[in-house]
Amino acid sequence: MIIEIKDVVCRFGTVTALDGISLAVKQGEVVVVLGPSGSGKSTLLRCLNALEEIQSGEINVDGFLIDRNHRQIHQIRLEVGMVFQHFNLFPHLSVLENVNLAQRVVRKRSKVEAARVSSELLEKVGLEDKVGAFPGQLSGGQKQRVAIARALALNPKIMLFDEVTSALDPEMIGEVLEVMKQLAREGMTMLIVTHEIGFAREAADRVVFIDAGKIVEEGSPQEFFSNPRNPRTKEFLAHVL
Amino acid sequence: MVWLAEQLGVLTKIFYYLIQVVHWTILISVSAYILALVLGLIFGIARISRNRFIRGLAGIYINVLRGVPLLVLIFFFYFGLGKFINLDRFVAGVIAVGVCYGAYMAEIFRSGIEAIDYGQHEAAMSLGMTRWQTLRHIILPQSFRIVVAPGANEFIACLKDSSLVSIIGLRELTRAGREYAAQYFLDFHTWLMVGLIYLIMTLTLTRLVKRLEKKFAIHGYGASRDDH
Repeated sequence: MIIEIKDVVCRFGTVTALDGISLAVKQGEVVVVLGPSGSGKSTLLRCLNALEEIQSGEINVDGFLIDRNHRQIHQIRLEVGMVFQHFNLFPHLSVLENVNLAQRVVRKRSKVEAARVSSELLEKVGLEDKVGAFPGQLSGGQKQRVAIARALALNPKIMLFDEVTSALDPEMIGEVLEVMKQLAREGMTMLIVTHEIGFAREAADRVVFIDAGKIVEEGSPQEFFSNPRNPRTKEFLAHVL
Repeated sequence: MVWLAEQLGVLTKIFYYLIQVVHWTILISVSAYILALVLGLIFGIARISRNRFIRGLAGIYINVLRGVPLLVLIFFFYFGLGKFINLDRFVAGVIAVGVCYGAYMAEIFRSGIEAIDYGQHEAAMSLGMTRWQTLRHIILPQSFRIVVAPGANEFIACLKDSSLVSIIGLRELTRAGREYAAQYFLDFHTWLMVGLIYLIMTLTLTRLVKRLEKKFAIHGYGASRDDH
């Protein structure tokens, strides 16, 4: 198991975002996390990258333990790439520099080596002609593809996608999902929070449904969508399908 | 006609007299401003430190120095500290103006850093960057664009306030004006010229700041125009 989450509790003040969640993810598995807004699905992803602090429980990522002291936090973040809803590209840097930066300062790669990796990845996401552009000159779909390339540049073993298409115009969602499907085919371990049910059906190995900080139901996309058992899941699917 | 020519002659003479010491005004302002930039950056960052002690210390510095008149600071550094260590007029004056403007600059830097969207911190963290690397590569370069105009305006204020160090006998523009006026009883002409020289400098700088602002606005993608 590349990710092991055990009885994790995460609170913000009096609000309990994660209420004792356990989940294990195999290498190469694509897990889609569904749930109503405020259910804790984004928090779950953010905990895997130590962007949120957990109050109890244990998270193991590729042999590294995320505990309350965050001792191995930087190693873990090298193993785990993250893509955000609002892209969070660095607006003062060009596309190439966005992808280069962490390679240079975190992975300590040479300029030449970093540029080589970056061009390769930008070609992969179909943006080889935008290397010199600045984020402000790109469309939402292009920004998100740069963000994916930026995360991939550190050679993570796991990729987290936090509602990466929610801020996009409908006609740009496809191009981003296409890149994600390609990654899935290549065997990347992925945890994806999304509202794209069609994508979940097609690309997920497993669907996990979270409500009120707890995993309510999980299963393969076929059984999850065609035969949901829990009443909460049924209600949710009735709204989104 | 003769009267006017005479007046112009007097003014020109005063101008040439004063222009010989104007480099002292510039030297004091520039040195004090450099000190203020360094202190401002340090205390501006310290103000948002995760360490409560460092944060508190920076708060004390900023609030104390902003709360005391600059003139009092100048007296304190020259006469007050002069009881213990012999500070040169220039050094004392520069330190007084520098630490005072450092407090203002700290607040400008702090607000510039805090203006950057938190998503930028998160993106940098998720890439394994340390807090320091994030500050250096991501936050400060973006804050710089925000800080440039208010920061440069502080230099203009600093230049004007450098006239206060004339009180400890540093022979800059204002001090030289006082001496000239006292010697020739030409108060009206002298102070007119002193004011004019300050005005030439500040107006030139104001135009420069405007241009600087424009330059950074064109290819600036600061927090004001974030990629949300």
